[in-house]
Amino acid sequence: MTEIAVPTGQVGAAAAAVEARGAAMTFNAGRPNEVIALAPIDLTVAPGELVSLIGPSGCGKSTLLRLIANLLEPTDGSLLINGKPASQARLDGDYGMAFQQAGLFDWRTVSRNIELPLEIKGWDRTRRRARALEMLELVRLCDFADHHPWELSGGMQQRVAIARALSFEPKLLLMDEPFGALDEMTREHMQTELGRIRAATGAAVIFVTHSIPEAVFLSDRVAVMSARPGRIEAVIDVALGERTELTRGDPLFFKHVTEVREALRAGHGVGGGMEDR
Amino acid sequence: MTRQRILAMFWPVLFGAVFLGLWETFVVTRDIKPYLLPKPSAIWGQFHGNFTLIRNSTRVTATNAFIGLFLGVAGGALVALVANRFRLLRELVMPLAISVAAVPIIVLVAIFNNLFSITSEVPRRLMVTLIVFFVVFLNVSKGLTQSDPTQLELMRSYGASQSTIIRKVRVPNALAYLFIALRQVAPLAVVTAFVSEYFGGTQDGLGARITQSIASSRDAAGWAYVLAACILGLVFFGVAIAIECAAAPRRSRQLS
Ligand SMILES: Nc1ncnc2c1ncn2[C@@H]1O[C@H](COP(=O)(O)OP(=O)(O)OP(=O)(O)O)[C@@H](O)[C@H]1O
Ligand SMILES: [Mg+2]
Repeated sequence: MTEIAVPTGQVGAAAAAVEARGAAMTFNAGRPNEVIALAPIDLTVAPGELVSLIGPSGCGKSTLLRLIANLLEPTDGSLLINGKPASQARLDGDYGMAFQQAGLFDWRTVSRNIELPLEIKGWDRTRRRARALEMLELVRLCDFADHHPWELSGGMQQRVAIARALSFEPKLLLMDEPFGALDEMTREHMQTELGRIRAATGAAVIFVTHSIPEAVFLSDRVAVMSARPGRIEAVIDVALGERTELTRGDPLFFKHVTEVREALRAGHGVGGGMEDR
Repeated sequence: MTRQRILAMFWPVLFGAVFLGLWETFVVTRDIKPYLLPKPSAIWGQFHGNFTLIRNSTRVTATNAFIGLFLGVAGGALVALVANRFRLLRELVMPLAISVAAVPIIVLVAIFNNLFSITSEVPRRLMVTLIVFFVVFLNVSKGLTQSDPTQLELMRSYGASQSTIIRKVRVPNALAYLFIALRQVAPLAVVTAFVSEYFGGTQDGLGARITQSIASSRDAAGWAYVLAACILGLVFFGVAIAIECAAAPRRSRQLS
C-alpha cells in the first residue's frame, strides 16, 4: 500500500501530532519466540485529528500505541510526537493515555486520581485541585470529586480516566479500546461525549477499537490494519461532518461502515473477529 | 446504621445464649463430672472470683503477643520494602519465608529458652516476632510486586521515576496487603505467645495457668483461663480489623 502517510498539508502548519516513519517492532528478536508485531509503519496524524486503528486481534494495534507513547522502543524507524522524539514527548507530557481498564487508583478519590499526573509533574496542591475540578466539569462528574472509584459505574470510571489523561492538556490522546468493556448504550453515550470533549480541547486522538461503527462514528480517518506482520492495509477518510445522534442513521455512515468492513476482509480473507456494532 | 448493627448482632447473640443455656442444662441433667465438662455458670464464677489473677496472667501473655506482633509487623514490612529493591536479599529471604510456613518453628522456643535466663520473657517475644515477621514479609512482598500493569504503564507515561512509582503505586498497593496480613497475624501472635509458654520459662502467663489449673483439678478455673485466652485473641483480631477499616475503607476487603 502506498498512500498511507497522508501529508498534513500547508507549509508553516504546526508539526504533526504523530509522525511515524518506518516504525517497526519485533519482540524477542533473534530468539526462538521471536514475534514480528509490526512491519515498518508510516502514519501521520494531524493536530486535532482523530484516527482510529482497527484490525484483527493480535495485529499490533496496542503495540503501535505503545511505540507512540514511548512505552516501547521501536526496533526500526522513527517516531515524532509534536515534532519531538517520542522519549522527549513522554517526559514533556505531550500525550495522555487511556486503556480498556480505567486503571484508577482505589486508594485515591476521583479528584486525586486526576491530580496524580499533575503531582508527578510538580504542580502545587491548589492548582492541581482547581484543574481536577475543571476536568470533572468537562466530563460532567462534578458531584463525584471526593468519591472513590469503586462508587462509580464503569462508564463514569472511564470518564475519570479520560479526564486524568487530559488533565495536563496534552495535544494528543492515545486510547486503547477505552469503551471496550462498556455496554452498548453507555458506549454510544461515551462516543458522543468524546466528540464533545475533543471539540473543547482540540486534542488529536489515536483510538484503537474493535467496533467498525465506533471507528466510523468517531474518526476523521480509519486506519485498517492486518496481522502477521502488523501493517496498515488501508486508510479510509470519513467525511461525515459534525456528529450527532442522527449520524448513526445516515446512509453515508453505513457506506463508510461497509467500506471499512471490506478493507478488513481484503486484509485477511473474511471479515472475521470484527464486531458489527 | 446503628439500628442495622443491632439487628446484625441479634442472631449471633441469641445463638450464643441458647448455646450456653443448652450446655448448662446438659451438664446439670446428665450429671456430667466437672473434670469432663464444667457448667458455664461455674466457669463464670471462677472467672469472676479469680479476676485479678486472670487479668495479671492475661497481661503477661498479651504483652508478649503485642511486642512480638509490633516488631514482627514492622520488621516484615521493612525487610519486604528493602528486599523489593535488592534482588540478592529477596532471593535469600523469600525461600526461607515460604518454607517457614510449612515448618512448626514454634519448637525453637525451647532453644531460645536456653539462650536467655529462665525468668526472661524474651524467648516468647522472639518467637512471636519471628512467626509474624515471615507472614508479613510474604504478604507485603506480594503487594509490592503485584501492581496493576495498567497503572504501571500510566505512571511510565507520566514520566514518573522508579522511586515515584514505588511511593505512589507499589507502597499503597502493598499497604492493602499489609492490613490483610495484620488481620491474620494478630490472633496468630496471641496463639504463639500462648503456646510458647508450654515450653518452659516463667509460669505466669495464660497458657501456664491453664496447665496448672487442670493439673490441680481446678477444672472450672482452667476453663476460666481458656475464656480469657479466647477474649484476648478476639480483642487482637478486632483491633486489627478496626485499624484496617479506618485506614482502607474498602479496598482490602475486596482483595480478600
Ligand atoms: N511484550 C510482548 N512480548 C512478546 N510479544 C508481544 C508482546 N506484546 C505483544 N506481543 C505480540 O505482538 C503481537 C501484537 O500484539 P498487540 O497487543 O499489539 O495486538 P492488538 O492488535 O492490540 O490485539 P488486541 O486487539 O487483541 O488487543 C501479538 O502477536 C502479541 O503476541
Ligand atoms: Mg490491544
